[in-house]
Amino acid sequence: MDSFNAITAAIFLPFIFAGLIPVMEKILKQRVGWFAAATALTSFILIGLAAPEVLGDGHIVQGSISWIPSAGVNFAIYADGLAMMIGFIASGIGVLIMSYSNGYMSQKEDLKRYYQYLLLFMGSMIGMVFSANTIQLFIFWELTSITSFMLIGYWRHKPESIYGATKSLLITAAGGLAMLAGFLLLRTITGSFDLATIMSDPQVINAIKEHELFLITLILILIGAAAKSAQGPFYIWLPNAMEAPTPVSAFLHSATMVKAGIYLVARIHPIFSGTDAWFILVSGIGIITMLVAGFLAFRQTDIKGILAYSTISQLAYIMTMYGYTTHHEPGIGVAAATFHLLNHATFKACLFLVAGIVAHEAATRDIRKLGGLRREMPITFIVASIAALSMAGVPPLNGFLSKEMFYESSLEMGALLGGGFTFLIPACAVLGGVFTFAYSIKLIDGIFLGERSKEHLPEHIHEPPLTMLIPPAFLALLVILFGLVPSLPIHTIIEPTVSGILLETAHLHVKLWHGFTTSLMMTIATFILGILIYTRYDRIAAWQDKFNARFPWISVNYYYDNAVDSAKEKAFKFSTITQPGNIKYYMTAMLLLMIALVAIPVIILATNIVPSTLNFSIAPYEAILLLLLIVAALAAAVLPKYLPAIIALSALGYGVSLLFIYLKAPDLALTQILVETLSTIIFLLAITKIPQKYKEIIPKSVLFRDLAISLAVAASVFVVLLNATQGIMAPFESLSHYFIENSLPLAGGHNIVNVIIVDFRGYDTLGEISVLCLAALGVYNLIHSRGEEQ
Amino acid sequence: MTTIITKTITKVCIPLVILFSISLLLAGHNNPGGGFIGGVMFASVIALMYVVFGLKYVKTFFDPDWAKWFGFGLMLASLTAFAAMFFGHNFFRSAVEFVHLPLFGEIELVSAGLFDIGVYFVVIGSLLFIFKNVGDDNE
Repeated sequence: MDSFNAITAAIFLPFIFAGLIPVMEKILKQRVGWFAAATALTSFILIGLAAPEVLGDGHIVQGSISWIPSAGVNFAIYADGLAMMIGFIASGIGVLIMSYSNGYMSQKEDLKRYYQYLLLFMGSMIGMVFSANTIQLFIFWELTSITSFMLIGYWRHKPESIYGATKSLLITAAGGLAMLAGFLLLRTITGSFDLATIMSDPQVINAIKEHELFLITLILILIGAAAKSAQGPFYIWLPNAMEAPTPVSAFLHSATMVKAGIYLVARIHPIFSGTDAWFILVSGIGIITMLVAGFLAFRQTDIKGILAYSTISQLAYIMTMYGYTTHHEPGIGVAAATFHLLNHATFKACLFLVAGIVAHEAATRDIRKLGGLRREMPITFIVASIAALSMAGVPPLNGFLSKEMFYESSLEMGALLGGGFTFLIPACAVLGGVFTFAYSIKLIDGIFLGERSKEHLPEHIHEPPLTMLIPPAFLALLVILFGLVPSLPIHTIIEPTVSGILLETAHLHVKLWHGFTTSLMMTIATFILGILIYTRYDRIAAWQDKFNARFPWISVNYYYDNAVDSAKEKAFKFSTITQPGNIKYYMTAMLLLMIALVAIPVIILATNIVPSTLNFSIAPYEAILLLLLIVAALAAAVLPKYLPAIIALSALGYGVSLLFIYLKAPDLALTQILVETLSTIIFLLAITKIPQKYKEIIPKSVLFRDLAISLAVAASVFVVLLNATQGIMAPFESLSHYFIENSLPLAGGHNIVNVIIVDFRGYDTLGEISVLCLAALGVYNLIHSRGEEQ
Repeated sequence: MTTIITKTITKVCIPLVILFSISLLLAGHNNPGGGFIGGVMFASVIALMYVVFGLKYVKTFFDPDWAKWFGFGLMLASLTAFAAMFFGHNFFRSAVEFVHLPLFGEIELVSAGLFDIGVYFVVIGSLLFIFKNVGDDNE
């Protein structure tokens, strides 16, 4: 299979197989999760088929299928090292998560829905990373938001789930819209939706950087990235997303979806990097988020809460490193960031899976109630320790290597900027590392070390089944392997990825031991400070609690909740103004609008309000008919009882249809007669229910106002009609010529009216009959819902 | 209203009016008529029957599910609109074909006619559906 086809198949296979899940569930029963895992594995292998070409030979697989060519939107694939790496992470971790879920999810759960969502998510994620077209990227991007929303809200009966799901959707999807706006601006600048085309042309990239829209485009796209990767003020959705089932958190909220923002930053790196704006925005958001989230993580009591904040801060590391650029040396931190991206996927997914095991076996995730589980769960303890130590940056694990690289690039960046930055940037990096070290230790200490609490925990806690143990153990093995033999991931995947981002061939040398360097000193300092902070844990926590209680308005959540909670109220207030419910107001608004839009322009256009060329000759039958019409209309308005008023109204209608016949419009006359008949019947049916005489007291002021409006409308209609034949439409010709000439040759009909309805304007008619159907259903609902209330 | 005279006249009228409404539907392409008018005519004669004989009594021998009628009509109309796409044309492209039949002479087959039949069923179905529901509520 050629690489383009293989990747296309890898994207769409999960979507197709998600549709098969209900069928497979009938055959496999509770083991349907293995089918999902097999699907993920197939996608992994399909991506792997493209690996020799992309990772081995260093080619970029490209191809496209025409989609909306007139808008420049194609289904286009761009597979370089970066896309391959995230593609491998999404499908590979997908295999582990879906296997693990077989043990984690209770048999009573709605497994169909669960695995369908997971597969849909995985397909969207793979589709997103291989997108070359920005519109396609946006669509897959929002699909991941939607599937994430469904997965977080998977337990529909829990209000926290619903809160978390809504929050994540509002924030990430809104961020996605900002990103779309950014892509549209990018198109305005470059004339293309195709990232590959933009990236391949250095002149275009220069033009973008000098364009006046550069900054706003960058900011909009970065808002999307930051919202998705929980950076800056947008981080608040991730902790609430932890209401999802733990495997989902491991998959979406640590290993894959939250990396979409990072991926986007890496993807647009060649286009936007090397500018001051890039460094300030990307690294600036990164550093602040890293410190704040690291500090907040430290304070959490829920295991998943700690992991959520730690994910935010780890993603911020990567963000920071991708931001390290200057005009002369763009891409200082790219290699380190990319390596950390891979390492984070391994150790954080592992930790989440361990959290799932602990919650599953000990029935609590509260770190204050846990402790001393090392005796009962020795294997889990070892696996968790490996992952946590890797996160803390302890050698010889992979987290140590990428953290060293982080320190190195921070030093280099600081030195390049000079001045106060020489120390400030490395110091921030170390402080981030200190928090990371402290909360990593806290996790292990809180769960596995110390004394076992008897009152909170079940009597017998044991190791989980193998289905739940093997996936995290496998990830822990990867953590060790990447640490001891760094050349393995570096040469196979990191180098092609870095080449993809920097658009030039990269050669990296990563070794476990490289002498007593400054960065090693920084690591040692991190450990010492980390232990110091950890021992002061209680005091810091107490201070933080006091601070939160005193200044609730400092948290971003405060503003989110305010905005969302009052949204309903504001919407209600808004709709009471715009839709007061009384037909009187709607009529008034419509009539006044008509005067403004039709009568006033006509009066302005027509030089004489009453044209001089009017023809006052009138045939006697017309005069009689018109007189009858006037009498009927007046009667309908004045008669005090419903029944006579309705009869007068019908008489008016039949009179008008008679007029149509005289004016040689049989279609209209026929329609008018029939509709008049039917509406009279319906009127008669309806009025049997209501009092025959209405005694509504109308205040004089209202009466006067209504009369004024009526007179204004009548006068303006009169003027418009007087002028209708006088050439006020001068530049426009009547459409009727076109229809008279073309109705027979084009549509084969002699009756122009009908040809217009079913052929020339068939689209309109289709819309109208749909509305008619909806109206019928609406009436049905209205009547029956009223019945239920009674 | 329900005198012997109205009842008898209604009975005689119903089949005639229905036939007339169908002829209006078919004539619509070249003469006054069409799906909408034909549909309203059909609906009004059934409505007349409901009024004259009473909804309850009519229900004992004639009680179609009008919702199915408008559902069918809407489907037919939209399928006609989509059909052109299967032949590689634009959405809603219409086709005209003239066929010679031994007894009837030249007959014109228009895709817009199918669309018109869809409109006919939507109008009948939705109007009578509303009528029946409103009428039901009144009893």
